[in-house]
Amino acid sequence: MKKLMILTLTLAALAFAATAFAHSPLCDCFDNGDGTVTCEGGFSDGSSATGVKMYVKDGAGKVLQEGAMNADSEYNFKKPEGSYSVFFDAGEGHQVTVNGSDIVE
Amino acid sequence: MKKGLFAAFALLAVVAMAIPASAHFMMVYTPEIALDKGKDMDFRMVFTHPAEAGHTMNMGGVKEFYAMFQRGDSKAKKIDLMPYVKEIKWTNPESSNTAYSAMLPKKLVRSMGDYTFVFVPGYYYEEEEGLYMQQIAKLIANVGGIPGNWAEPVGLPCEIVPLIKPYGMWTGNVFKGQILSQGKPVPGAEVEVEYMSHMPNLSKNGMPAKSSVNYPHDCMVTQTIFADAQGYVTFGIPKAGWWGFAALGVGPMTEYKGKEMSQDAVLWVKAVDMK
Repeated sequence: MKKLMILTLTLAALAFAATAFAHSPLCDCFDNGDGTVTCEGGFSDGSSATGVKMYVKDGAGKVLQEGAMNADSEYNFKKPEGSYSVFFDAGEGHQVTVNGSDIVE
Repeated sequence: MKKGLFAAFALLAVVAMAIPASAHFMMVYTPEIALDKGKDMDFRMVFTHPAEAGHTMNMGGVKEFYAMFQRGDSKAKKIDLMPYVKEIKWTNPESSNTAYSAMLPKKLVRSMGDYTFVFVPGYYYEEEEGLYMQQIAKLIANVGGIPGNWAEPVGLPCEIVPLIKPYGMWTGNVFKGQILSQGKPVPGAEVEVEYMSHMPNLSKNGMPAKSSVNYPHDCMVTQTIFADAQGYVTFGIPKAGWWGFAALGVGPMTEYKGKEMSQDAVLWVKAVDMK
């Protein structure tokens, strides 16, 4: 019973973290048409994404490239062959995944 | 017979007088200003009376059209849009005149953030009043939900600076803005407010005859509000759609070609219903 209580509380806490609307992470990427991709990020309250960790993963989830958002909250990388995704990681509850198939010019 | 003719003329005169004195509005219009993702944006710039699809005027050409783009707290960037401006003919039910369109390609407006569009027309000569008019208009759009410079003055000769996100308003929200002339508040500024009762048709380049509002009295067509001692205006938004605010004669230019000149600041906002 106690365990159930803890589980419920944990779930409630997680739910809370997921609905922190005042500060949602946002990330969008564009195919530059020259074999590179540019991602731009930020938060819904206008705060900068500078320093946020960025991962480029293949279809199986293996990390191919990693880096961080620059001073302009941008991250450039070489477009991988095949299917891929981009992971914007600003910590728990502040993560965004962008599918490579949604990244167009 | 003569008496009848006289009566007819008298009636016509009365009818002419009764034509509502709606306000001149520099319209800067694009269908959507809160975008999830950047896409091509189609603009129309028309000098007309949007509450009544009324008289359309020759704005005297285009001096400037640009956007100030800003994402978050990064530095604002100016995007010149003049290369996209095209002359068109705008046709309202009873009037037609030169206006402008601009199809902005996605690449210009794809980044997340705020785009403050600024349109500076030339000078329009209002013969009846013997004065020139210039309405410098702003429209603020957002892509992707990251805010930027929506509450920042652009630094125009005169402008209305919103204190509520102008692209994120619910019906019933209160609009608040500050009227600035050369960066300084204008106490007691007179501001006219109109609702876009005839939605622009972009494929026909005109407004339909049918209005979405029944105006019970002239005074409801163009509403007038005054700024307070610090130049702030407030206005409750009663209906979803487009609302235009025009601060009259607040700019520093008061004379052109030896005639009186009214340099006005216009801002458009859009409200949506809560569903």
